[in-house]
Amino acid sequence: MKKKVLVLVLCLVLTLGAVNFTSYGAQNSSDENVKITFMGWGTDAEIATYRAMIDQFEVAYPNVTVDYITVADNEFDTKLQTMIGAGESPDVFYCSIDNMMKYAATGNLYDLTTFVENNEIFDPNNIWEALINRYRYDGENQGAGSIYALPKDVSVFPIVYNVDLFKAAGITPPTKEEPWDWNDYLATAEKLTSGSGNDKIYGSGAYSLESAIWSNGAEWVDQETLTTVKIDDLAFIEALQWAADLSLVHGVAPTTTETQALNDYDRFKQGKVAMIGTGTWSLGDLWANTDFEWDVMNWPVSPNTGKSEIWFGSAGLAVSSVTKHPEAAANLAAYLAFNEEAQRTAYTNGQAIPTLKDMAKGEYQEFEKAPASKDVLIDILENHARLATQSRTFNQEWFAEFNSNTAAVFNGEMTAEEYCTSIKPAVQQLLDDSIEQKKEYSAQ
Amino acid sequence: MRERKNNLKRSESIAGLLFVTPSILYFLVFFLLPIAICIYASFTNWNILSPNRMFVGLRNFTKLFADPKFWKALENTLFMLIPVPIYIIFALLFGYACHKNILGQKVFRAVYYLPFISSVVSLTLIWKWLFNAEYGLVNIFLKGVGVENPPNWLGDPFWTKWMIVLMISWKMIGIISIYYIAALKAVPRTIYEAADIDGASSLQQFFSITLPLITPTTFYLLIVGLIGSLQTFVEIQMFAPDGGRGYGVATIVFYIWQKAFSSSQMGYASATAVVFGLFIFALTAIQFIISRKWVYGGE
Repeated sequence: MKKKVLVLVLCLVLTLGAVNFTSYGAQNSSDENVKITFMGWGTDAEIATYRAMIDQFEVAYPNVTVDYITVADNEFDTKLQTMIGAGESPDVFYCSIDNMMKYAATGNLYDLTTFVENNEIFDPNNIWEALINRYRYDGENQGAGSIYALPKDVSVFPIVYNVDLFKAAGITPPTKEEPWDWNDYLATAEKLTSGSGNDKIYGSGAYSLESAIWSNGAEWVDQETLTTVKIDDLAFIEALQWAADLSLVHGVAPTTTETQALNDYDRFKQGKVAMIGTGTWSLGDLWANTDFEWDVMNWPVSPNTGKSEIWFGSAGLAVSSVTKHPEAAANLAAYLAFNEEAQRTAYTNGQAIPTLKDMAKGEYQEFEKAPASKDVLIDILENHARLATQSRTFNQEWFAEFNSNTAAVFNGEMTAEEYCTSIKPAVQQLLDDSIEQKKEYSAQ
Repeated sequence: MRERKNNLKRSESIAGLLFVTPSILYFLVFFLLPIAICIYASFTNWNILSPNRMFVGLRNFTKLFADPKFWKALENTLFMLIPVPIYIIFALLFGYACHKNILGQKVFRAVYYLPFISSVVSLTLIWKWLFNAEYGLVNIFLKGVGVENPPNWLGDPFWTKWMIVLMISWKMIGIISIYYIAALKAVPRTIYEAADIDGASSLQQFFSITLPLITPTTFYLLIVGLIGSLQTFVEIQMFAPDGGRGYGVATIVFYIWQKAFSSSQMGYASATAVVFGLFIFALTAIQFIISRKWVYGGE
């Protein structure tokens, strides 16, 4: 019997102990030394870079200790949401631009506006304005209002091309002054396509749908109110069909089955496709894994509009609204996002182009490694890039629905027109749901 | 005297209770409580990101039943039941062969057990390579034996599902056959000896003695297998991270996960989980009812 009592007492002690420790943690916050947690994802190289930066930060702010948690990128949102749900949000965390509104509307993000105006780490005027504004949210729309995250990077999505193949075929790439239009692109791709079987070389990879559709003056969703799906517009259908026809009709791009077997990116690295769209996050990988010369160019203009547009991506660093150390957390976010050394490490590792304007236009242009035409990246970012529409809606389900079966167009089962008209009601429904969800979340 | 006995009984039952308390606590905290929260959440618009939630009545359920993706996912989930009979039959044959010492027991047991203890993620990567439409060994083999247009395993949901069926079956045969080897060893030898004397052939013995006497094991494996199959998730996430073309590969658990964590609709996801939980419960109950007709209960 005594033993049983002992067991019971032990259980009680352990339980109370756990409770006690938690409350002890809370009391500790008033002490001078603070400990904050930071959660992110990334490749091994990125994680190593961040560890080094955190070490630097801890030297600069000796009273702050940072606990760096890394999570695989495909598990990140699940983990973060579970932590938030449990009331244990990390103090600083990656916040993709797609999720910013969702987290801000539910009151999970610390308002960084005042911090940005008075911070000691960076000069807000040296960050691309369009970029920092994307992390503003006024309770209704993105792009205005308070700042809820600091852009840790910016990704441009140019066409990367195989210079060796271009030279062999005697092709001159387009320039800023003399851009290609779709017809030039197709003609070039035809010239570059050769061989068969295992020696087959394609001129083009899958064409960016964003570029095709936006450049043709079309939109997934009306840009004024973001409420009406417009995928059955003629210009939209035409652009989608044009992209699909590169493989279907002209045979200058791999078929969907071929892409399934070996994606465009890997095919490019093997020298078996001459032009593909890819993001600046893969520069480092291309340095390491290609044995030919390559460079970047801007997307062709649509012959119907004469303009060219493409998306840019970005991930932000957000501070939790329930952090006990907002100042230390905001400093860490800013340090990681805008620290010169960090930005330099990022571009020398080929992970990103600098978010600091002076660095991007200055020393980065002199940087020895490919691409040679770094000015193209800056030109795209300043003049041709915009945020993807799905990043501006509350959730992205409508966009996933649209993408769920575009393969049917690309393998010729359906025409672009059939596909767009057939899927439009479902896409519209999901967009309506997203708007409804936003209202509901913001009201709570 | 009686009182002492009663006292003894009481203190024994208290001791017993104390012994099971940890398990009961575990069950309460990690099973019953989450189930209760889930049922409660299914009537709210909880989004996990905000502590606030509103009672929305049956809205989640009506929306769920109206969502074609839910039905598609349910269909795919039922498809994932196909591996169960496959691996049970093969595991039985294999277990029987091991039991009869037809195959080099130890080596094969280890070999067949390997897939089960390997991580699903690494298995999936290997399978992705094997079933690559152009460069995979499977299609190279199929082309070699004269199949002109071998399936696009990873691109066509129909074939992706069959590939997953194959993978699950392959993965499970080893562990299931271990259960069978144990069950076969438990069948009393005397019964076989009696049958020998009566002149029963080994085939007759297998169907009239072995098979009926191991039905409790088969029943257990069937129940556990069906429930496990209905919860197929990791394979889907690995082979078709977006649920496949036209949501053609997604299962219910995948659907729940997407709703809960990609769309932050925890209330809605909970409603789906409740409906699906009831579905599994009903299916299991039916199996128990039918089991009276075929499972050996010992006489």
